[in-house]
Amino acid sequence: MRLISLLALTLLAGIQTAEADEKMADTCLRTKIWDGYGEGWAVRTATTASLAQGEHRVYLVTLYAGNEYKLQVCGDDSATDIDLVLHDAEGVELVRDQTNDREPVVTYKPANTETYYVVLYAGQVAEGQNAGVAMAVTYK
Amino acid sequence: MAPRWILLSLSLLVGCTGEEQPAEQPAEQPAEQPATPDVQFNPDTLKADAENVTLVPSPAEMQRALANAGLTSELASMVSDKDIGTDVENLDQVAVRTGVILAEVVLTLKDAPKEKLVPRLESMKAGFVKLGAGDDIPPTIDELISSINNDLNREDLLDDVDLLSGAMVPELETEAGDWVVPLIQAGSWLEGAHLVSGAIESESKFDAAGSLLRQPEVVEYFLKYVQREGGDKAPDEVVKQLEATLVKLKEIASKPSLSEEDVKEIHAATGAVLSML
Repeated sequence: MRLISLLALTLLAGIQTAEADEKMADTCLRTKIWDGYGEGWAVRTATTASLAQGEHRVYLVTLYAGNEYKLQVCGDDSATDIDLVLHDAEGVELVRDQTNDREPVVTYKPANTETYYVVLYAGQVAEGQNAGVAMAVTYK
Repeated sequence: MAPRWILLSLSLLVGCTGEEQPAEQPAEQPAEQPATPDVQFNPDTLKADAENVTLVPSPAEMQRALANAGLTSELASMVSDKDIGTDVENLDQVAVRTGVILAEVVLTLKDAPKEKLVPRLESMKAGFVKLGAGDDIPPTIDELISSINNDLNREDLLDDVDLLSGAMVPELETEAGDWVVPLIQAGSWLEGAHLVSGAIESESKFDAAGSLLRQPEVVEYFLKYVQREGGDKAPDEVVKQLEATLVKLKEIASKPSLSEEDVKEIHAATGAVLSML
């Protein structure tokens, strides 16, 4: 049985009242998460945000030494460039996605168990619109 | 970072107090579009804007970290057989109990007998209902119960439970308030920390304790919600014990490294809360 059909409707709270753009981002992310299971990735957390151009979100995340982490993002059609950056607890930038698109991915294997900062930044979004952005922290 | 073709917007400068520094200009650029610098964020901005939705590791992630640290214990085999119900008045306690059961379900789904697993799922569902968890999670749990009762392949259900724990619960909006998710997470984390500290102790791998158990920000995050003020927060012995445990864990986690005694103290302190459930 796959509950994913049900989860598709409910993966992230508030989806029944969410903007269509967040649904789009969520659907894209869900597909990536599901594909990841086949490669041994599991989910720490998935969350959504709505970002206008130039806006950002910062997430605190505890990463275990020895585990490998993959941060995955999907933006909706109104976004053409979403950036994803990982910083250590001191704010030092560790990894930055190297793409210029709305589906950035970053992988990182920490040497120490620490708290890190994940930054989502809306680099390019259609004028006057908010982009629906979904992000997952996955690990293996 | 690949080149970008827009100028840094004014909204960025307003929305981020970080120091923006232009990236190196790539060698070849189309003449009509200037490259956009990589946006930089300073530590003050990161700290001020940080949200905690992704902060807390899951019990399954703890198991993975345990294995990656070279410990051979299976947390699933260490889960207590004790039935933890959610039929209590205090909603803080309901949330913590629901979180503990969620951790047990995540860890034991693959191998636990259905006679053990189904009651756990039913208690968990009752907890979510009591917390006013909306229309989504209870039917999802019903689907899981049905699948287990029909002896469907447990391997196929692992990913579904992973999504329930990792995606649905953290984004849960309940009638009770925004403290519910942190306290559910606190219950799950408490169970995980108890099992991990027990595994470290039984294998005498105390040098792994720092990387597996030292998470001061997580403890502080839970404490903030346990110690919150509010009319919905009634005095409760379990919640008092949870608060005392978290204060103790915060003190231990503030040390630069963890000793054998620290691990034993973590195991005992977390066990003190769990034994009251």
